[in-house]
Amino acid sequence: MIHVRNVFKRYRNHHGSDWVLRDVSFSIPRGVSVGLVGRNGAGKSTLLRLIGGMDHPDRGEIIRNCRVSWPIGLSGGFQGSMTGRQNVKFVARIHGSGRSVDEVIRRVEEFADIGPAFDEPVKTYSSGMKSRLAFGLSLAFDFDLYLSDEATAVGDKVFREKATEAFKDRIGRASLVIVSHSEGILKDLCQAGIWLRKGEALWFDSIHDAIAAYHQSLKAS
Amino acid sequence: MRTSWQVTCSVWHAMFMREALARITAARFAWMWMLVEPIAYVVIMIGVREVMGRVAFASGAEFVPWLITGIVSFNLFRDGVSRSMNAVEANRGLFAYRQVAPVDPVLVRAFLEGMLQTVVFAILIAGCALLGFQIIPADPLGVMFVWLGIWLLGAGGGLVVSSSVALVAEVGRVVRIIMLPLFMLSGAIVPLQMLPHGVQEALLYNPVLHGIESIRLCFFSQYKSLYGVNLLYLWFWALALAALGLALHVRYADRLKAQ
Repeated sequence: MIHVRNVFKRYRNHHGSDWVLRDVSFSIPRGVSVGLVGRNGAGKSTLLRLIGGMDHPDRGEIIRNCRVSWPIGLSGGFQGSMTGRQNVKFVARIHGSGRSVDEVIRRVEEFADIGPAFDEPVKTYSSGMKSRLAFGLSLAFDFDLYLSDEATAVGDKVFREKATEAFKDRIGRASLVIVSHSEGILKDLCQAGIWLRKGEALWFDSIHDAIAAYHQSLKAS
Repeated sequence: MRTSWQVTCSVWHAMFMREALARITAARFAWMWMLVEPIAYVVIMIGVREVMGRVAFASGAEFVPWLITGIVSFNLFRDGVSRSMNAVEANRGLFAYRQVAPVDPVLVRAFLEGMLQTVVFAILIAGCALLGFQIIPADPLGVMFVWLGIWLLGAGGGLVVSSSVALVAEVGRVVRIIMLPLFMLSGAIVPLQMLPHGVQEALLYNPVLHGIESIRLCFFSQYKSLYGVNLLYLWFWALALAALGLALHVRYADRLKAQ
């Protein structure tokens, strides 16, 4: 479903630049959810951005044969002076035809569950409300692959359960790529794992093996 | 699956609605300021002329219509450049959605700005005509053609500046500094006919001047414009800038997104 082939990525700055990802290759089959583990700065978020098409590799290629979401819970695209409804409408319009726009708005309103605030400007929202809206927005579309960067950790307890539930609901119909430091979430939602180590990616068919290998390396160092 | 063209169309539609809403509701009476600004310039310049003792400003045109055509035309160019210049930065958050390319907000803003300025111009012409000034264009088709040229010049400038920011971050600053002298040197509020011939020749390298004088020639049949004004020169600049800007956007799309 997703093929990553010989991908190199680095960010240029003034004092030299090391490769963040070096010759990374793997394929994610249909219906398999993957957890990304690795230390801070190992390139987990970079890899996620590359899979999501928000950034381009310096070398190599990434082939997407399915619909891939933007990282779940992303709220950077919200315009503060516009209401939640208007912001949702904007994203719905980008993604498709006129008929489904109303449907998307209805689903977001239902999932975010922020009541009348849905028609208030986004700049008046608390950070929790904002992430509820962002989360609802990601789940309102039927993607084949969802990307998540520590997103399930937002909101209050009730919402967090709802979010995890929504993820589990989609296993089977859609799969996930998750960056998280919480083992519980990873073991709950993923089957396979990728361990990023010094710019290299190691694929594990079982997420338990990936986490175990990662922990082993932490102990050794 | 949608084709690339369908995706682009839905992005432009969504973005246009968003930008229009944000622009018009940005501040209280944001829409009114678009009208008030050129009117304020006109009032100030009338005051200046009274102080100077009613010198003859330009021959072949009434003073107020002459001023309005100049100021609004320059605004069309200036806002085209400065609004689209900031478009990439202002919409950075949207590049998370794969469908949105850096060139989209620039094009949408340039289009929106052109629409707004056209409405403002129409209202000012109507108002002036009702007050009894001779401002009904002698050659309406010509006015539209020149207006389109000035708009394209602004949009092309915006495309070039917004993409070259990826290479030289300071370009935006420089452009902002240049705008004020350009306002003076384009003949928008001060007639350049009285300057020495040598200076006029140098000023004629400025395409905005050609646009503003051309649009006045279409408005006022008796108008004596600066010698050497050429509409074709304006269109050459406009098309060249637009082509260069689009090429830069294609070349540096990734870098603009990543910044």
